[in-house]
Amino acid sequence: MVGKIKTELGAALGNIEIGEVNYRERGYHLCCEVDSGEIVKVARFFDERGFYLAAEICVDYKEYLELVYIFGNHAALCRVKVALKVDPAKPVVPTISTVFDCAYWYEREIREFFGVTFEGHPNMTYLFLHEGIDYYPLRKGQVQVSAEDKKSLGSFQPEGAEDTFCINLGPQHPSTHGVLRVVLKMDGEYIEEAEPVLGYLHRMHEKMAENRGYLQFHANTGRMDYLGAMAFNLGYVTAVERMCGIAVPDRANYVRVIATELNRLSSHLMWLGAYLADLGALTPFLYVFDDREQINDILEPVTGSRLTYAYFRFGGLYNDVDEAFVAATKAFVERMKSRFVLYEKLVTGNVIFINRTRGIGVITKERARKQAVSGPVLRAAGIAMDMRKTEPCAAYGAMDFDVPVGTRGDALDIYHVRIKEMENAVRIIEQALAGLPEGPVMAEKVPKKLKPPKGDIYHTVETPRGELGIYIVSDESDTPYRMKWRVPSFSNLMVFPELAKGNLLADTVAILGALDLVIPEIDR
Amino acid sequence: MEKVLDLARANSLWPMTFGLACCAIEMMSASMARFDIARFGAEVFRPSPRQSDLMIVSGTVTKKMAPVLITLYEQMPAPKWVIAMGNCAISGGPFVFEGQYNVIEGVDLLVPVDVYVPGCPPRPEALLEGLMKLEEKITGKRRFPGPEERW
Amino acid sequence: MEQLASIIGWEALKMIVGLIGVLAFVVVNALILTWAERKVAGHMQRRIGPKEVGPYGLIQPIADALKLLGKEILTPRAVDKPLYYVAPMLIFIPVLVSFIVIPFDASLVVKDINVGILVILAFSSLSMFSILMAGWGSNNKYALMGAIRSIAQNIAYEIPLLLALLPIIMMTNSFSLKTIVEAQQGLWFVFYQPLAFCIYFIAGVAETNRTPFDLPEAESELVAGYHTEYSGMRFALFFLAEYTNMFIVSAIAVTFFLGGYQGPFLPGIIWFLLKSYLLVFVIMWLKWTFPRVRFDQLLNISWKALIPLAFINLLITGGLLKL
Repeated sequence: MVGKIKTELGAALGNIEIGEVNYRERGYHLCCEVDSGEIVKVARFFDERGFYLAAEICVDYKEYLELVYIFGNHAALCRVKVALKVDPAKPVVPTISTVFDCAYWYEREIREFFGVTFEGHPNMTYLFLHEGIDYYPLRKGQVQVSAEDKKSLGSFQPEGAEDTFCINLGPQHPSTHGVLRVVLKMDGEYIEEAEPVLGYLHRMHEKMAENRGYLQFHANTGRMDYLGAMAFNLGYVTAVERMCGIAVPDRANYVRVIATELNRLSSHLMWLGAYLADLGALTPFLYVFDDREQINDILEPVTGSRLTYAYFRFGGLYNDVDEAFVAATKAFVERMKSRFVLYEKLVTGNVIFINRTRGIGVITKERARKQAVSGPVLRAAGIAMDMRKTEPCAAYGAMDFDVPVGTRGDALDIYHVRIKEMENAVRIIEQALAGLPEGPVMAEKVPKKLKPPKGDIYHTVETPRGELGIYIVSDESDTPYRMKWRVPSFSNLMVFPELAKGNLLADTVAILGALDLVIPEIDR
Repeated sequence: MEKVLDLARANSLWPMTFGLACCAIEMMSASMARFDIARFGAEVFRPSPRQSDLMIVSGTVTKKMAPVLITLYEQMPAPKWVIAMGNCAISGGPFVFEGQYNVIEGVDLLVPVDVYVPGCPPRPEALLEGLMKLEEKITGKRRFPGPEERW
Repeated sequence: MEQLASIIGWEALKMIVGLIGVLAFVVVNALILTWAERKVAGHMQRRIGPKEVGPYGLIQPIADALKLLGKEILTPRAVDKPLYYVAPMLIFIPVLVSFIVIPFDASLVVKDINVGILVILAFSSLSMFSILMAGWGSNNKYALMGAIRSIAQNIAYEIPLLLALLPIIMMTNSFSLKTIVEAQQGLWFVFYQPLAFCIYFIAGVAETNRTPFDLPEAESELVAGYHTEYSGMRFALFFLAEYTNMFIVSAIAVTFFLGGYQGPFLPGIIWFLLKSYLLVFVIMWLKWTFPRVRFDQLLNISWKALIPLAFINLLITGGLLKL
């Protein structure tokens, strides 16, 4: 696949040099640099060949701004990085949101954080920030936002026709989503348009990354997605280890897998409870928390936290697991199997639940690809892509598990996919416990202040919500130059407006719950 | 008569669902089967501010969220109390750094706070202790002996 | 006592004493039911409910009531004042009137009107006015949506409710509740009319806006439905009305299908309260087990399933009675 793309892209673009890159160090296979006039052609090229736009990133290199487009493929592992240099004095670039729908929000984010204007973009208003912020946050040095920029950014007005009225869902939610505000234009009980408004929990993680050392930033990763914190930890730690070429001992890899899968179980259980509470059944929420408390009891003596873990370290773990941990995990796994039977009886066959979720929010494969959807939502739509199988890190390569796939792409399928993922997580934990090797858990001679070599890396992990992409640019100092987190909930939320159109208000809640969003990771 | 009313208010504090970030999960854990907050009468989490008396601010308050928080606080009828749960609500938490532009460093810059519960996130037992302290503030007497009295 | 009776007449005295008794019963019932709801919910969710406030949490509802009394009486500026003020008061009238005709025991009925069940059904439709006033007068989109949903739901489920009770009325040839209870000396009507019992129960739960039919109060979608803007004592009145409605639905089910106050050994009123509270427990059990039915599915259940079934039942009953 890689060679084929290289020759075809070279033929399509003519005089561009396409470099083949060491995938192990960089996380992508090919990279090339284009002009702003050709970026739309390149986007169409990848669209025709079935690629998806994984991320669109902007990096400020002081003399120039660089826009990085990362294209990935669902069928085979082939990642291409396309770079575009922009003049900081006149940052104008054509938009690719006409080709890839997910660029719609990626480009809005770049606009308000860097000041790059995208020609042809339908809506360049504030996404995360607001009028009180006077300079572009992620530009190096303080670059003021000009007055007319502020005006064009701040011109969001929800309005409607005669018979419609606008209603707000949030930001204070009675349900457990977090601070998400959705402005719904409604015609009676039917929804005409849904516009999410973000930024109520923007905690400046990416700017903090530029001010903190690599180890200091580790604590932030647990707070971005607090329900799947281990997966975020794993992604960050393995990305930096990949950049520095640190080898991790086997025992540490196995324990990392056990901890991440326990966290995945915990996150999916929480989703189950919260989804049913949204639909009105308040009791499964408590049963689910019972299981979660058991997981917390296992992980707390080892990691020290109940919720926002920061367990892994560069080179392994800082705390080894003992016999008590192994015994407790084995007992928990046995118990969990009987709990699955309980949930099956309580929820899966319930007629009211099935009627609320069948046929609601159907996502087709084409829309899933264009919107860069990932995780259980993508698998429910029919595309079997799991980062644990395509790009295994830690000890996932040695584990044997299935990737459940749905057929219809509606909320009921997403539910079934998640239940099967939970069962597979239990399988993985059993295998990892059985194969846990002896040995040290920390690599030797890992410096306290890490200084990775110059360059960039794009590393992916599978979190309970989908594909997490971490893009780190290092300039050989002990703080990252730029760190971008491509979070799965961001692209999953982009599908929501088109799914909600034409549905009832009650269905909105069912769709929003099925997407399993965690707002702090969207707002970063 | 005031004393009886104070006792009644302390024993039936109805919190408002105002979970913002990670601390919200610990707040939910406190109302679940293990750390049951219903024992103290506070299980009824009313979603509307007009029917609740306690606002547990759990999570980071950003500048975009600040007007919303103040509006909700003003919609609550008196007597009302505020618990600032977690480091972010007390003083901005781990998100205070030089050059920060979006986090409000402590919810007591916006509304008067009665009890501060530190932690990142605080354990559900810590939240229950905060509730005990609030009840002590309302009635003048503590329900269970505190840690300093037992040792 | 005799002097008072000679001034206003025995009947009037009986009415006044009865009304005071009913009011006292309504308040005590609401207190018991709020405590029971939280305890039942707690035990179904593997925890104990209120425990610290008095033994077994029994003083909890009194603490709640005192707290609600002591709240600031807040009137939002933009509400429609006459509607906003009248709604919580109006919701109580149907409730009290319904209690007048329910026989607690052979002699414990405030006034046994000979069109008893018609009175109850007519006045329960009045509560819809109160909900609409609350929803419209609050000047709040969520309240309005909750009120509209509630009215559509109430209208849809009134019909199966009535149709399920008609066979019993046909069998006993009377609208008076006391006569209906007396007619169950031999075998309770639930064995003659099981389908009508099920239809009546489902329609009754829908009338009280409880889960699985609690879309008007759906907490995760609309903030709190039609009583979003009410606080303090006014909110307590809505709450009280809901719990009392639950009891009335159960009481009517007991009167029509389960033999009313009849039973061996114990006095009639104990049997009546036992059976009614058993049905109330079943209603609470439903709330904590099932998710919410979506609105169009809700209306479909009523118009497409319950009403045809009730009609068929009525026809069969009429046919059998003729033969």
